[in-house]
Amino acid sequence: MTTMSAAADGQPVPPRRSKRTEILENRPVNLDGFVEEWPEVGMVAMDSPYDPEPSLRVSDGVIVEMDGRPRAEFDFLDQFIADHSIDVAAAPAAMARSAVEIAHLLVNPQVSRDEVLAVSRGLTPAKLLEVVKTMNVVEMMMALQKMRARRTPANQAHSTSARDNPVQVAADAAEAALRGFRELETTLGVVRYAPLVAIALQVGAQTGKPGVLTQCALEEATELELGMRGITGYAETISVYGTEPVFCDGDDTPWSKAFLASAYASRGIKMRFTSGTGSEVQMGNAEGKSMLYLEIRCILVTKGAGVQGLQNGSISCIGVPGAVPAGIRAVLAENLIASTVDLECASGNDQSFSHSDMRRTARLLPQLLPGTDFVCSGYSGVPNYDNMFAGSNLDPEDYDDWNVIQRDLQVDGALRHVPEAEILAARGRAARALQGVFDYLGLPPITDREIEAVTYAHGSEDLPFRDVLEDLKGAQSVMDRGITGLDIVKGLEAGGFSDIAETLLGVLRHRVSGDLLHTSAILTPELTTLSAVNDANDYAGPGTGYRPTGARWEEMKRLRHVVSARNPEEEVG
Amino acid sequence: MNATTTGKRVLELTERGVAAPGVRADEIVIGLSPAFGDFFTKTIVDIPLAEVLREVLAGVEEQGVRARVVRFRHSADLAVIAHRAAALSGSGIAVGILSRGTTMIHQKDLVRLSNLELFPQAPLMDTDTFRKVGRNAAQYAKGESPQPVPSRNDYMARPRWQAKAALLHIKETEFIRAGAEPVELDVRIRAAQAE
Repeated sequence: MTTMSAAADGQPVPPRRSKRTEILENRPVNLDGFVEEWPEVGMVAMDSPYDPEPSLRVSDGVIVEMDGRPRAEFDFLDQFIADHSIDVAAAPAAMARSAVEIAHLLVNPQVSRDEVLAVSRGLTPAKLLEVVKTMNVVEMMMALQKMRARRTPANQAHSTSARDNPVQVAADAAEAALRGFRELETTLGVVRYAPLVAIALQVGAQTGKPGVLTQCALEEATELELGMRGITGYAETISVYGTEPVFCDGDDTPWSKAFLASAYASRGIKMRFTSGTGSEVQMGNAEGKSMLYLEIRCILVTKGAGVQGLQNGSISCIGVPGAVPAGIRAVLAENLIASTVDLECASGNDQSFSHSDMRRTARLLPQLLPGTDFVCSGYSGVPNYDNMFAGSNLDPEDYDDWNVIQRDLQVDGALRHVPEAEILAARGRAARALQGVFDYLGLPPITDREIEAVTYAHGSEDLPFRDVLEDLKGAQSVMDRGITGLDIVKGLEAGGFSDIAETLLGVLRHRVSGDLLHTSAILTPELTTLSAVNDANDYAGPGTGYRPTGARWEEMKRLRHVVSARNPEEEVG
Repeated sequence: MNATTTGKRVLELTERGVAAPGVRADEIVIGLSPAFGDFFTKTIVDIPLAEVLREVLAGVEEQGVRARVVRFRHSADLAVIAHRAAALSGSGIAVGILSRGTTMIHQKDLVRLSNLELFPQAPLMDTDTFRKVGRNAAQYAKGESPQPVPSRNDYMARPRWQAKAALLHIKETEFIRAGAEPVELDVRIRAAQAE
């Protein structure tokens, strides 16, 4: 309660404020953007009166009505889903079950993953939405623990540079690989730099830890070309959207995206689609549907296209569900649904959405605690000011916190603490390997001064400038000369880095096997494939499934500073 | 004609009819979104659109290149606008600008979702940057290879602004008229009348 009072000159004195209020006003969380719900335009997470009721009618093996729409009124998403995504034989029985019943199948650890898949294959988007609406986040996490495709969780990082500096990208790729990431992603501030940065990511990754898969997020045709040339190892940002007009603004249809997927498959290149709650309302055409309903359409389009997996969890639009009530619950639900329809899930946590450290962590836990195929689809391996995805939920300054949380909770987030000497060695070696490759390919040179700087740097602010225009000419020449991953192999060999050359050749050779097309496929450091096929998730309750034990648990116990128990005046190794 | 007054300058945009493909090699096209300078008078961070256009035009003019300004009504998508503008441009180079400030430099032979330079974070666009965009577009038009405008990156722009950007975009899409032809605009930027 405050009172107005008059000052001596008759002007009203502002009411006295609470000191506590002032402290709270200045909390970082109050810099975040929050908006009220507006279901009419789709500004609502998962609870819209305009979402359709689930329904399904099948006639002669063809879906003639889905979620309240007859076939004559299908848009191209409805048609694609009805014709390719839903198992028509399983559908009538599956749709007849109540949402609560299906939710029980998901949550109950004694119902096997296969039993759930037998039902989920016949469910429509509105039915899947209805199922998750009966579940709170704890129930969803229990379900996700069982439904993720690969038994062993993994993690993905970004390596980018505010200056598109390839030496920096290589060094940070090496460090990220050493810390445990099995996939790495890069992108550009200036698109034309892509060939050099993609080469740098590949070289840095294989230097850090053999078998890391690398991608360069670009416009689709360019990304496909780099993949076909073997300059990159996989692709992820093949985007799908939940309404027709927005899909068209994305310059594609479900069919053209499926065609693109098959182009990758034709070369044995791993790929997944990307989608996420909030993209349709962000792009101005949510057709009055909730964010999660539209995202479920994207998940089923992915399934129908025959693609093995999906990056979702709002991704670049996280500020949108993050602004409305239950948004982060919806984000967990979309990860769960992707896993529930037997897709690999690279589960977000890759885009800045909050100024608050508490909120960043709260948003992360629903994926970290149960484990997903990739807990982050883009932990920033470079300081966020260098992150050319406009900032991730986590960056290198969070590494030690992450490792502590793994140790605190005995939860495997796929990372490990690495002593400084090892990191410096990897960073320096990656930069030297790239120097050799650039020299072999006649690209603008990398100097010893740059190598020294990047070894000890935190970010681009610590590095000398490169000649951007010369680099751009070099990048264009890479494309014009038809340079491929095999040229990078030769460049590594010529530079005296035979082991890295051998590694890269081994990674490229995997395309011939097609193993990387399996659900959730990654390569081990020994260059064997680990996927949902040979590492199937067998979680069935307490005492079962993946738990960090043995050597991995010992590794997780190591931190930067741990006091020796036997000699408390010293620290452990 | 619509005239908008914010601060010191008035932006007057007068329609001159359907925009035709350009024939001069020394021109670029500036493609505007449906409600630019009409319903919207300032960017997401309150920079008057009069200033935005003034800076881009000045940057182009400094380089001895001409600029035509074209309003697109059939789409509020930046890549669509910028790419179509590039197709109309005699040099094949165009600048696309949305009312909230998101900007790109495009070239007609690139695929739509590629670009020469992209400025995806509207809150970071200031008058200085708009000037540099104009300069660079003009240099591309002359066949030169300018240093890309230094990219600024605010990794907290998304938490702070994304929801507002979504609402602004939804508002802009209300002004879309399907199938509408692009319209060439006469641009007058003059000092506001004294009170």
